[in-house]
Amino acid sequence: MSTMNFIFAVLSMAAVMIFFRVMPLLFFKGKIKNKFLNSFLAYVPYAVLTSMTFPEVFHSTSSVTSATFGVIVAIVLSYFEQSLIVVALSSTASVFIVEQVMKFMTK
Amino acid sequence: MENKKLKLDRGEYRRGLKEGIPAGFGYLPVSMACGVASCKAGIAFGMSQFMSIMMYTASGQAAAINLLVGGETAVFMFALTLFVMNCRYLLLSLSIAQRFDSSMGTIQRILFGLFNTDETFGIAMKNKGKLNFSYLIGLVIPPYIGFLIGNAAGCLLNDILPKSISSALGIVLFAMFIGIIVPPARDSKPVLAVTIIALTISFILECIPFIKQHLTAGWIIILCAVITSLIGAILFPVEDKDEKSNNDDKLIEEKEEK
Repeated sequence: MSTMNFIFAVLSMAAVMIFFRVMPLLFFKGKIKNKFLNSFLAYVPYAVLTSMTFPEVFHSTSSVTSATFGVIVAIVLSYFEQSLIVVALSSTASVFIVEQVMKFMTK
Repeated sequence: MENKKLKLDRGEYRRGLKEGIPAGFGYLPVSMACGVASCKAGIAFGMSQFMSIMMYTASGQAAAINLLVGGETAVFMFALTLFVMNCRYLLLSLSIAQRFDSSMGTIQRILFGLFNTDETFGIAMKNKGKLNFSYLIGLVIPPYIGFLIGNAAGCLLNDILPKSISSALGIVLFAMFIGIIVPPARDSKPVLAVTIIALTISFILECIPFIKQHLTAGWIIILCAVITSLIGAILFPVEDKDEKSNNDDKLIEEKEEK
């Protein structure tokens, strides 16, 4: 994608963000009464984050093995209510360690 | 909703700033990860900052970076992905708008809306009673600044780091997403079910060669999210919590009056 095109892409994405952030505050005074629509919107964030994360996460580091370790560490730590910083950094650290160990073992 | 002059109540503004500063620090790691990811993907330093200033959404920027790396060329696809991802802002904005007091005229609503995020929404909604402009604008400034600083720092860091660490950092945003998904999935069965359905569909879509060949990564995310949320909405309709909490507020107010 050319730089110019990407600038257009960023501007269009910014327009979408502004649309969602500002428009409802200005134009809708009532609530969404439709239960189905409400439920749908409530589940969208989880569905999006999950489908963005899996399976791409397994290709996010230099090997599937190290990524798998990172995923496991992230799931366990967040299950036990660690903060996002701790989860992210520990997962990254475990990937780093596994990759170093693998390098050490294969050579 | 009529036009009102921009006036700030210093005390309320300070109270907002005070509550916003921790969120600003909280954004540092997220936005740093975002900066690392963008510069690692080959996006120029300036372009990465431009993205942050204009979009101000870590998950959205991560999605955009993924699309770019995946070779997406259609501007429309970028916008559509962001559209699907951010439908939830409709909900956030709608429910916070119920709590605005009379200081929120048109300009005030626009200014606050531009900088509102999930986190500032969460903090603001912890307040009992009505929300005024001075407090809200104080609240949203520190996270925005934190986000921009973090993103720039992440980009700079990416240039300095050795390759082994930079490779490990590839997982950082995904780990953060896992950190966002897991706690609610642990506490709520419907969310857990939705997560598992999304996981399954995502892997299935990934495995079908026909889809892999004809749909870009962006479409697969959108398809998966829409199918999953539809299934979730059919199987587990959400109770209207807002109505309940509003009633609670009323009860509290009535008690206080007594």
